Amino acid sequence: MKQKEPTVNSFLRRSRWTGLMLVVVAAITLEATSIIQFFFSQKGIQQEAALRAESELESTQLEILNVIDQAESAVRNNMWIARWCLNFQDSLSLVTSRLVEDNPVVMGSTIALVPGHYRRHPLYAPYSYQLPGQDTVYTKSLATPEYDYPSQEWFTKPIELQEGYWSEPYVDEGGGDILMTTFSMPVRDEHGVIAAVLTADISLDWLTDLVGNINVYPKAISILASRSGKLMVCPEESLIMHRTVQEAADGLEDTAAAHKIAHAMLSGETGSEDIVYRGKLQHVFFSKVERTGWAMSIVIPDSDINGHLRRIGSVVAGLQVLGLLMLALILLSYARNQRKNQELTEKKNKMESELHIARGIQMAMLPKIFPPFPERKDLDLYASIVPAKEVGGDLYDFFIRDEKLFFCIADVSGKGVPASLVMAVTRSHFRTTAAHENSPQRIIRLMNDVMADNNDSNMFVTLFCGTLDLATGQLIYCNAGHNAPEIVSAEGVRPLNVLPNLPVGVLAGMDFQDQETYLKGGETLFLYTDGLTEAENSYHELFGEQRMEEALHPGMGAVEQLRAMHRAVHTFVGNAEQSDDLTMLCIRFLGSVPDAGDGRRLTLRNDIGEISRLQAFVDGIAREEQLSDPVASSLNLALEEAVTNVIMYAYPKGQEGRLDLQATRRPGELEFTLTDSGKAFDPTAAPVADVSLDAQERPIGGLGIFLVRQIMDKVAYRRTDGKNILSMTKHI
Amino acid sequence: MEVIITKQDSVMTARLIGRLDTPAAQEVSQAVEPLIAAADGTIVLDCQEMTYISSSGLRIFLTLKKAAASKGGKVIVKGISDNIRQVFMMTGFLNLFEIED
Repeated sequence: MKQKEPTVNSFLRRSRWTGLMLVVVAAITLEATSIIQFFFSQKGIQQEAALRAESELESTQLEILNVIDQAESAVRNNMWIARWCLNFQDSLSLVTSRLVEDNPVVMGSTIALVPGHYRRHPLYAPYSYQLPGQDTVYTKSLATPEYDYPSQEWFTKPIELQEGYWSEPYVDEGGGDILMTTFSMPVRDEHGVIAAVLTADISLDWLTDLVGNINVYPKAISILASRSGKLMVCPEESLIMHRTVQEAADGLEDTAAAHKIAHAMLSGETGSEDIVYRGKLQHVFFSKVERTGWAMSIVIPDSDINGHLRRIGSVVAGLQVLGLLMLALILLSYARNQRKNQELTEKKNKMESELHIARGIQMAMLPKIFPPFPERKDLDLYASIVPAKEVGGDLYDFFIRDEKLFFCIADVSGKGVPASLVMAVTRSHFRTTAAHENSPQRIIRLMNDVMADNNDSNMFVTLFCGTLDLATGQLIYCNAGHNAPEIVSAEGVRPLNVLPNLPVGVLAGMDFQDQETYLKGGETLFLYTDGLTEAENSYHELFGEQRMEEALHPGMGAVEQLRAMHRAVHTFVGNAEQSDDLTMLCIRFLGSVPDAGDGRRLTLRNDIGEISRLQAFVDGIAREEQLSDPVASSLNLALEEAVTNVIMYAYPKGQEGRLDLQATRRPGELEFTLTDSGKAFDPTAAPVADVSLDAQERPIGGLGIFLVRQIMDKVAYRRTDGKNILSMTKHI
Repeated sequence: MEVIITKQDSVMTARLIGRLDTPAAQEVSQAVEPLIAAADGTIVLDCQEMTYISSSGLRIFLTLKKAAASKGGKVIVKGISDNIRQVFMMTGFLNLFEIED
């Protein structure tokens, strides 16, 4: 584990670095994109703003020129009549009043004669005018000493320039403080000499509305200045006509820019300039108004132009920051998960390795060296166990004691680690119990009592336990809820007849019954757990008993048999996952037990109560052989004596033992073979009882063997493989 | 195996019913204890309903005979079947007991 840590840490460090780099790259990319986008958007918006301002300036100028044109046209159109009327002094007022009447934009008009034109009236200037809101045209003379019209700009300039001239705007104090301007044009007499100046006054009130209402942007303001720089329209009314743009520029914080703008405006330039006003950036667009020499400007706060973009920009930036934060969080949690996964994987690996060790321990509990008894010619045994998980609850065990094969197969309810623990306990109980108990039902009963008592987890075990007498093929078995094993013989495959009984561990004090049969040489006992018959393929079909029986072959060696069975299961199951532990135990009996021919055989325990079974056995044979009553009776007696002798004396007191009696019919004779594994005793070697003695001299015992020898025609004894074999033949 | 013991004067009669095989002999040997105590008189073993006897049964017979012989009594075996007579013959018991039909 120690060596692994640096790798893990560096991996984690690397993954964290990778994450950080990813966030940084994403941030840079996003920001760069945004900045480029912002830059182009801003440029576009500013171009748009400039276009809008310029077009507004243009259209406003056109509207101004429209009025200007009207005034100019009025003057020009009346020029010829004015010239003509010069010779008729009194008609000049008619010219002016008609000019006012005919042209709504014209508020007043005068024709002012060059001083001295008329001898009688050195100054002559009739003035026609309308009062605001009235249609009546009044006429008065401007030739007053106070006014001194020849010195007025509107009079001097056109003469000086010899062409039409727009005056500086002025406030007409007489007509109600109206901002006015005057177009004046020299009138030449028939000799081409300037004789008078014809004028048209127009109100500039509409300018305030026109220019003041330029609404390119909500907070934009418009300024109109006269040729000399006087403010004609501006938001601050008090300044109108009182200040020039230059003067106004003096009072601004960004004086340099203000002066630059003022200068540009007064020079009649068209363009734009930036200025800081009240701490905020303003964009100033300006152009001159043709003919009048006025200058117009629109001041648009930067916030109006770029504010929206900025707001969008900040929202976008906010979203980006949020997104990046989320990305960082995702990466962080990913890294954390990665670490957790790593830890989990380590834990899992550790657990797996422990399970692997546990599996090793569990497997080591089972005999797994095959062939297990290479020296034995009478037994071919093979077993296999395949747990569904690393460890399992299946179990098999076997060993040979007293020329008997003790074996068991078991299936603990459940799977995995809990089952494996119970399996270990079961195996240990089996070994302990079977070491001194001979009867399978005793073994199971004792195991059941112990395990049921300590069964807090309510786990139980199905168990099949048997002993195979290797000399005789006698199979004594007891089943505790397990699947019936199969007997594979030359006649076919059939399940062993078993009592179901309850599984081990369910209820203490349960009784279990032994059953018995014989295996002939070459017959196989095939034991399995339900992992075999309940093996599922991907269609959830079960392997089943029929397929199992079809895969069992008489005469096949144990190893080959189990391999064949595994192949059959694998073919059936295919790729489906193994769902349950699969255990098989194949016991092939190869003992050379003489065939009883008609299978007449009886096995008895070393209990005197078993004599009644012997009697039934012998009576059965006597009936089948149609023996006469005396013969049957004497056979009964002889066999009882022989069997009683074994029951009473062959085995030590208290030890359970078995004896086997086999009857063989041959022409003219019946042979009975009595086999036991008790201590060696040769009845044929016993002294013959002397039946001629009188009562006092006769011993009590010794009659049994005497009777056997009397009744039977031939009695032979041999001791083979630790067994007493007594052969008794009766001629019939 | 059933044993019915009756006493008439100095004669004790044991009526043996059924098979006197080895398991039965263990019970019978206890049942005939009173006969041994009365072995100075006459003991009658009524075997008319006894179908079978093994060496264990013969042993009981011999034990009674020995007891009677030592105490001066006698044992009469009554009504044995042919099969049992055959056994008695083989074992020399015909010579040891008084046999009555």
